[in-house]
Amino acid sequence: MALLKKNKKNESATNEFDQVIVGTSLTKEAWKRLQKNKLAVVGGIIVIIYALVAICADLLPLYPYDQAITSHRNLRPSLTKTAGELMLEQEMKNLFFQAWRGGRLEVPDEEDALIEQWVRESKTNKVWDLLYERGMAALEDGSFTWSSSEQRRIDNVLEDIETETLITIDSVSADLGDGMKRIDDMSYDELVSLYAGLLGTDVATVESSLYNEVSATVSNELRANDSTLSGEDLTASIEMEMDAMGRDGFENRASQNLVAYIEQLAQRGASSDVNALISSGDAVLPYKGVFDLSSGLHVELEVSRMHDRHYYCGTDYLGRDLLSRIIYGSQISIAIGIVGTVTSIFIGILVGALAGYLGGKVDYYLMRFVDIMYGLPYMLLVIICMAIFGRNIVNLFFALALVSWLTIARMVRGQIMSLKNQEYVEAARSMGAGTMHIIFRHMIPNSLSVIIVYSTIRIPAFIMQESFLSFLGLGVQAPYASWGSLIGDAVSSMSLYPYKLLIPSIVMVVFLFSMNFLGDGLRDAFDPQSKNQL
Amino acid sequence: MTKYIIKRLIGMIPTLFIIVTLSFFIVRIAPGGPFDGERALPEAVKRNIEAKYHMDEPLLMQYGRYMFDVIRGDLGPSYKYKDYDVNTLIAGSLPNSIVLGSMAMAVALVFGISLGVLAAVKQNTLLDYIPMCLAAFGLSIPLFVFAPLLQQVFAMTLGWFPTTGWFMSSDAPLRTALLPTVALSFAYYADIARLTRSSMVETLRSDYIRTARAKGMKNSTIIWKHAMKGAMLPVVSYLGPAFAGILTGSIVVEQVFLVPGLGKFFVQSSFNRDYTLIVGVVIVYSVILIVMNFIVDIVYAYLDPRISYK
Repeated sequence: MALLKKNKKNESATNEFDQVIVGTSLTKEAWKRLQKNKLAVVGGIIVIIYALVAICADLLPLYPYDQAITSHRNLRPSLTKTAGELMLEQEMKNLFFQAWRGGRLEVPDEEDALIEQWVRESKTNKVWDLLYERGMAALEDGSFTWSSSEQRRIDNVLEDIETETLITIDSVSADLGDGMKRIDDMSYDELVSLYAGLLGTDVATVESSLYNEVSATVSNELRANDSTLSGEDLTASIEMEMDAMGRDGFENRASQNLVAYIEQLAQRGASSDVNALISSGDAVLPYKGVFDLSSGLHVELEVSRMHDRHYYCGTDYLGRDLLSRIIYGSQISIAIGIVGTVTSIFIGILVGALAGYLGGKVDYYLMRFVDIMYGLPYMLLVIICMAIFGRNIVNLFFALALVSWLTIARMVRGQIMSLKNQEYVEAARSMGAGTMHIIFRHMIPNSLSVIIVYSTIRIPAFIMQESFLSFLGLGVQAPYASWGSLIGDAVSSMSLYPYKLLIPSIVMVVFLFSMNFLGDGLRDAFDPQSKNQL
Repeated sequence: MTKYIIKRLIGMIPTLFIIVTLSFFIVRIAPGGPFDGERALPEAVKRNIEAKYHMDEPLLMQYGRYMFDVIRGDLGPSYKYKDYDVNTLIAGSLPNSIVLGSMAMAVALVFGISLGVLAAVKQNTLLDYIPMCLAAFGLSIPLFVFAPLLQQVFAMTLGWFPTTGWFMSSDAPLRTALLPTVALSFAYYADIARLTRSSMVETLRSDYIRTARAKGMKNSTIIWKHAMKGAMLPVVSYLGPAFAGILTGSIVVEQVFLVPGLGKFFVQSSFNRDYTLIVGVVIVYSVILIVMNFIVDIVYAYLDPRISYK
């Protein structure tokens, strides 16, 4: 062992003063250069933060991104006020406005004129804010009091805030003869027998109604994809789909429905107990409790005041928490960006490597094909595909990945062509290595740094394209969100609710900024020569 | 040169052919047709309508018929806008899109090139940092964020410009046109400025510029006459993709600023499955794009004497 080490030392290079020269690899050198680039480092840190938040979204204390609370629609973002206080504020703003219209709330003349002008220009927010300020002051000094009907409306809101609760089911379990078991872990048969027992009917009835439900869902899905289907065609296709689904597929879908039904039953069953607890004052909200229902279900649930929520980024038009929508939207946007880039790089490497290595006719035809694809207005074709083949994440991803491999193919081809005549490739060939082996074992790894750098630059472009489609309503569909769809939803109401546009925009732009700086920095670090290219 | 142009012109035909064929078949193999509204039509009525538009024929025959019409310059009747044919619809909206697009392109070119050159000449001064910061911003902010933000800030909050509308039919044309043009051109300004700066910096370091300086030429002559020609090459080759981007970008701008252009038809017709209109719009867009690419290539060949017109 010692001998080996000594040998190694002897082999290492020395300079004219007999000092050992420590060689640095290209990667190390690049890493050093990257660290010197402050902007790129900051960009990298921000990208890592985004990635961490997006990955850990499920662990963060967020409200569910698809939970819509009707009374929380369009609440403005607030760091201090709860949803209830904002609801009250909104109600009062409306009432103050009506009072001002009716002449009961008096403001100075010049403000009257100003408000009139704002109303004409539909600057609703300014009108509300000013009247709220004046109205609260008037209430304070007693020059304005609520009429009885107004007082009643305010009291209603106050009562709602005080009493309305939100029950979240954490888990439901039941005893099926062999101890408590959570319904999530139950098999289809167990679920059916449990549900039948709860409803007091027999298993066959439950199964037949489940079959009907699943086939109704299938029929809806079919018609969503192809609105021409009707009558016999539809029946035939439903049967075909159900056959294709098989027993396992059916049980899977049916189990999902059953779990939802049993949870509903459990919630309904527990709600009277919960209400009793709350009204007796034994439970302090938010309350976490375990209930054993008379039906034999064992429920763990959480009760919280519905209107005690804090919406730090406001809510959308359905009353969903914008903060959690943005974070889950980041998850989708970033995931599409990364997965799409990786896919397009795979296709690009394959085509580029084949064209570059094989050369000749293969190269000619592959590259002519790439040229023609370059000439296509491909974003338009993607839009058509999305509009026509259905708008879901998978289609979106394929449509984008299929058109974005062109540049990488050209790049890899160039790399491969320049590597083709290197000695080590010749050596490999002379030892009898196959084409595929040479390409994927020797050449691709050697051009990988260029590819990786390029892909960092591609990710923001990919995210922008995805968001562009989502903005047009052709990308990610509700209840899911992406940056683009959040911005697209907000555009129509931006004068009334500017925060809905601003917050997702800022989140998105900061990410793209950091990603671009990181990409530029990586490119400069790995390939200082290329600094002058875009 | 003439031979080169003719060769390029002939080369455009297969690309166009592929585009027409591809879009024709994509819209038709997809499920759903233009006459499937909310309300199902009676079978007989539907068959009659389909017969009227030759949709009962085999697909290949429809394709042949359509190709024949397209070659004659007839893009067919629209399926959704009754009594209109695609030619009329496109003729009505295309000019607006073209005006908007070319204004945006002009703004991007003028500001991108001049500020890029300025930044290259005054390297590492404030005159370099400010335009380049702006460009970095333009690179990262997507159009569909930038356009609504512009509208929100300058039209709604400050009230300096009208929020929506089209300048050709408004009484304050310049003010109406400004926001959509700026929105559309910003991203391309960013790219052009960055490209111009980097290639200008490189060109200014080259030997022939040093020779010109040694001869005692005026700085402005060196920059605008000698360096410019070489430095513009990457910018010119970027213009092809830029035109494509402005075409798709105008869809967003037209939607946000309610400009009556072609983009609106495009998105709507894809939703409506208005086959002829979709393919028609794609053909028009592609022709514009291909012609632009062609012009770019010619200009490139003219600027770079190393390229031989084979």
